[in-house]
Amino acid sequence: MTITTNSLMFLREFFSDYRILICFNGPISTTLIGEIGSALKEHIESHHAPELEVMDVFSVYIEMSQNIRKYTTSHGFSDAESSATVVIAAAEAGHYAVCAGNLVEMEDGKALLKRIHELADCDKAQLKVLYKQQLRQPHSQIPGQGAGLGLIEIARRSSQPMEASLDPLEPGRAFFSLRAII
Amino acid sequence: MSSSEELNLSVPGSQTSPSIRADWKAGVVVMSGESYPENSFELYDQLIQWIASYLSTANQSLTLELHLNYLNTSSIRFMIDIFDLLQTSFEEGKEVLVQWMFDDRNPRSAELGSEFKEDYTFPFLILSINA
Repeated sequence: MTITTNSLMFLREFFSDYRILICFNGPISTTLIGEIGSALKEHIESHHAPELEVMDVFSVYIEMSQNIRKYTTSHGFSDAESSATVVIAAAEAGHYAVCAGNLVEMEDGKALLKRIHELADCDKAQLKVLYKQQLRQPHSQIPGQGAGLGLIEIARRSSQPMEASLDPLEPGRAFFSLRAII
Repeated sequence: MSSSEELNLSVPGSQTSPSIRADWKAGVVVMSGESYPENSFELYDQLIQWIASYLSTANQSLTLELHLNYLNTSSIRFMIDIFDLLQTSFEEGKEVLVQWMFDDRNPRSAELGSEFKEDYTFPFLILSINA
């Protein structure tokens, strides 16, 4: 399909309704992660709620996008398979929602959902204990070169439990989505 | 025998990686900036090698002066390796010091410094640059 002026209007309304500030859909590069991160920091510095820390939103965004980069690279995914969807939107009372999604093998997606639900049941003190335990793991035993630590970091910076879902795509694969409210 | 200048390490900073300056003669390592490179191993491995070699051969103290506003989790994991080296040397009687410098506008940096400090017994100062 080719985009029309009507669909642009539709997209604009969708963005406005969900208060989307920054959105990206496509193969994500290191440079792009950095550039979107800078734009994000600049935006939040001038708009955030008094109790919100800018670096929390930035950190969640970085961990989510780098987890996707590491996952797609370590699985040897093609450009099309490595496409990531990253959305940063305004949430209630000066807070922010950071969402990211990507194609995963179904089994990996199920394991991720399980891990996210476990982390959602932890309070901040338990998350700190898990974080310190994970930091003490030898490098070679860190699954996906640090994905474990990244998820704990996201949970620690979130003001609500993380939400995640898995939408089946082609056989054996799914689109994994993660949302954190900071 | 190399001259002390050849033993220095200097890595320029970028948007995603801190600048690193390691001065063998002075016994000082200064890191400054934000750290979220895609390949943190590449950046940190050379620094870890330098510190390990310094601690095992130089017969003097080592000071780490850290001005790190933000570290992603894989950089944090490598900082643990560095602090572990310092702790081992400290237990063997070597003089080591970490000066963690933070900006009051970024309290998360001070908290990160405190979380590192909790796990070690060598001198670890957390200092505001606004003081």
